[in-house]
Amino acid sequence: MASEWDFEGLVARYYVPLYQFAFSLTRSEADACDLTQQTFYVWATKGHQLRDPEKVKTWLFTTLHRQFLESRRRQTRFPHHDLEAAELELPVITPNHVNRIDGAQVLTALARVDDAFQAPVALFYLQDYSYQEIAEILELPLGTVKSRISRGIAQLQRLLTEPESRDSTPTL
Amino acid sequence: MTPQQAKQVLLTYRPWLNEAPSPEVAEALARCRSDRELAAWFEQHCALQHKIRAGFKQLAIPEGLKEQIVSEHRAQQTQTWWQQPRLLTAAAVVIILISVASLLWRIPRTQPEDLSVAGFRSRMVKTALRAYDMDLETNDVTQIRAYLAQRNTPADYELPAKLQQTETVGCGALSWQGKPVAMVCFRTGKPLSPGAKSDLFLFVIDRKNLPAAATATPEFADVGKLTTATWLTGDRIYVLAGYAAADVRSRL
Repeated sequence: MASEWDFEGLVARYYVPLYQFAFSLTRSEADACDLTQQTFYVWATKGHQLRDPEKVKTWLFTTLHRQFLESRRRQTRFPHHDLEAAELELPVITPNHVNRIDGAQVLTALARVDDAFQAPVALFYLQDYSYQEIAEILELPLGTVKSRISRGIAQLQRLLTEPESRDSTPTL
Repeated sequence: MTPQQAKQVLLTYRPWLNEAPSPEVAEALARCRSDRELAAWFEQHCALQHKIRAGFKQLAIPEGLKEQIVSEHRAQQTQTWWQQPRLLTAAAVVIILISVASLLWRIPRTQPEDLSVAGFRSRMVKTALRAYDMDLETNDVTQIRAYLAQRNTPADYELPAKLQQTETVGCGALSWQGKPVAMVCFRTGKPLSPGAKSDLFLFVIDRKNLPAAATATPEFADVGKLTTATWLTGDRIYVLAGYAAADVRSRL
């Protein structure tokens, strides 16, 4: 499969969304570049194993996420959260909140969202993937993905609409 | 569906997607149309969602990232061949194939034995040229015949008159294709090569054991260093081999 694709064409088509996803996970330009490059390296060496050409994009996102998780495992263990028990609190949104939000704030806020929610939320906003596709990319059950997206969005909105809590660790 | 339930359902609604709403979302949207407060919340929620999405999309891409990925890929492709796993595997396969082919080449191939008179003659001459040791060294013809008879090789051979006058030095019991062959060794009287004990050899085989028949008239043929004469007498086929053609011809 890999040989059937024009590598440069593939890079040109997918490196932007992959980098954006990588950055939303790492919040580091260098780390995001490394993840993106590593993803295409894996494609060059193992992409031929992919049989379905329509799955290329999903394959790339899945690979990038796996690389991210591996790098995180090397650095630290994820703290355990009882996600199902987390309360879904919805913030009050005013036009004022909406008007003063910029891109940098969004990414800063995402960095403070629970680790487990970040990847599903990033894919939710960045790509037009269905929940099923996001579940495939993240290799999670569909119900878990839906739950994490809901809770992640709620956290993100709360962080963006509650200025006083920006400098503190979010609580569920 | 309560307003709070509708909010939770619509939390993951993506206004930028033109996807058909699920029944649950459709119900929540309908609830919005009938609930002003909920509709106001939904309007602000969608505005915020658009803003957040824009924030993600505005993420700047580092300059030269694409070129860096592509150039790195090219560098990996041009690395030395032994660093590339697929080429390394292919090279290993080629080496193995060459090794196997070499081994097969070296294994002696069993060619089918030439079952013709010529084949028999060639094989016997090679035996003589290898300086095959006689089983019995004697000039006593009676002992020779007795020895050959004991080993079920043709012992009642008939010698041409002139060959009978040649000094017999011994005999051997051979086989060809599992069939008994008598070898009788003579000496012409000429000086022998160092280590040699005879210079004229007669091989006798039953006619039934050589599929291709010879003729009564001697057939002469040079085989290696030797000159041979092959003929048929009675039920026996004879091959006389000597280093000099004259030695052979003069004894028939």
